[in-house]
Amino acid sequence: MPTMQVGNVTIELDEDGFIVDPDLWSEELAKVFATSEGISELTDDHWKVINYLRDYYKQFQIAPMIRKLCKETGCSLKYIYELFPSGPAKGACKLAGLPKPTGCV
Amino acid sequence: MPEYKGMKQAVRASEEDLRKIHMIPVPDDQKADEALKYLDEMRKKFRSFVTAMESCVKCGLCAENCHTYLGTRDPNNIPAGRADLVRKIYRRYFTPEGRWFGKLVGAEDISLDVIEEWYTYFYQCNECRRCAVVCPFGLDTCEVTMVMRQILHWLGMVPKLHAHVGHAMELTGNHTGLPKPGLVDTLEFLSEEIKDEFGVDVPFPVDKPDSDILYIPSSADFLLNPYTLMGAAMFFHYIGANWTIPSTMAEAGNFGLLFDQQATQRGNVMRLLDAAEKLGVKKIVWGECGHGWRAAKMYIPTLADRPVRWPITHLHDETSYYVQTGQLKLDPGKNNRPVTLHDPCNYGRACGLAENLRITLNACVPDFREMTLNREKNFCCGGGSAILFDDPEMYQLRIKFSQKKADQVRETGVGNNGDGVLCAPCSICKAQLYPMVEEHKLGVEVKGLIDLLGRALVWN
Repeated sequence: MPTMQVGNVTIELDEDGFIVDPDLWSEELAKVFATSEGISELTDDHWKVINYLRDYYKQFQIAPMIRKLCKETGCSLKYIYELFPSGPAKGACKLAGLPKPTGCV
Repeated sequence: MPEYKGMKQAVRASEEDLRKIHMIPVPDDQKADEALKYLDEMRKKFRSFVTAMESCVKCGLCAENCHTYLGTRDPNNIPAGRADLVRKIYRRYFTPEGRWFGKLVGAEDISLDVIEEWYTYFYQCNECRRCAVVCPFGLDTCEVTMVMRQILHWLGMVPKLHAHVGHAMELTGNHTGLPKPGLVDTLEFLSEEIKDEFGVDVPFPVDKPDSDILYIPSSADFLLNPYTLMGAAMFFHYIGANWTIPSTMAEAGNFGLLFDQQATQRGNVMRLLDAAEKLGVKKIVWGECGHGWRAAKMYIPTLADRPVRWPITHLHDETSYYVQTGQLKLDPGKNNRPVTLHDPCNYGRACGLAENLRITLNACVPDFREMTLNREKNFCCGGGSAILFDDPEMYQLRIKFSQKKADQVRETGVGNNGDGVLCAPCSICKAQLYPMVEEHKLGVEVKGLIDLLGRALVWN
């Protein structure tokens, strides 16, 4: 299984590059993911999306509906794609340390 | 990107993933023997499989009728060619001519290479059954894919996507892994959205005892398809239905149909019956999910271990009835954009659900343009049987698999001004088409049919 080094911590990734253990998430990790996703700098808007996803996941153990994410963060879907070029599921969720969404998505 | 001797493959479930769906992978050095044992078992059980093995005359008609072959020009994606990947083994071990003359009659010894070919190509079939419609012998090559995916499952060769879905279903009762609080939170949010956008108070009852209708949505709707859930709720509310969504079975799909038609598929059926029993409903209504509707309509009656005491209908059998009996006031002007319809393969070819879609659609939109070809002759979106793999190599294949669909949409002209609608009333189709309409630059937005009906309803 692929791993990633963040500071002194070795973090396990799945085949899609998502972290296996969400508890190992750190801001540092989000920054490393950002680089691999081609995001040059994490702005306040990036963090707003990431923090919303993390809070929602903590409460419900699932990613929010994309429409809800847009509404609650005030970011249109188009803008989320600008922030996270791989999109809300494969980009934003990954940076926020959520597992990859499964099912017909 | 997994590859085996140059063949690109879907990421497969790890040993840990497999254990979560109760499978212990067969070690590579035992796979050949085990595969033969399972093949022998399946050929004795399934006449449809044997017929396909014995009767194909390689006329080639299926080639130009399969979108996976048209998109890739890979001979192993010709339905007859795909079936040949197992036919050569079937011939070698289960026919006298194969046993005696081997290669001379196209027979081949089983090997790990062959099994890896199976994994590669039986997961490049969309199980759309278009080949079955055109085959002069009526051979249903999907039946071959189904048998082979079952054998692959028993060998421990399942795509990660399918295994994860199997596990999520067992844990939560839906494919996306939504626990009840998340499900309720989403539905409350959508109630507010309906109020904001349409000005009506529409509740989403969850686990409401003594409901008349048990509505089974696709769980993908909770992440991706807000208007599908909103449309269904508005429809039920409009007709005054006493309805509910079961939190233990918020899933119209049944991936058992797609990788394990035994334990997984049956388990999901029993889960549905339990939910219906518990909530004391009178009828079960199925949401927008193609393979799930086939699994429900065509398989529940024989897979259920108990008598099925409830009629099971599709949402659009219901909507079309209400349209035809004049019980809905609809304003097509609210969907004032050119619309075309993608017939989900499992509706059109497996369940006879084609005319009712059109009855509802025509009542909801002013400018509906049929695709050529359509109904049971329609081409698959390229996502069928949930081969929605998204690692870069497999994603490229999905683009190729959707080429034919893209051509069909373009021919209708609905996207010429960039404001068209591609109505695709199935979750797998939606998940495939959302990115594909962008890849092929079709100028259309993908929507469910109930999405359009919800918008067209006139409330006062």
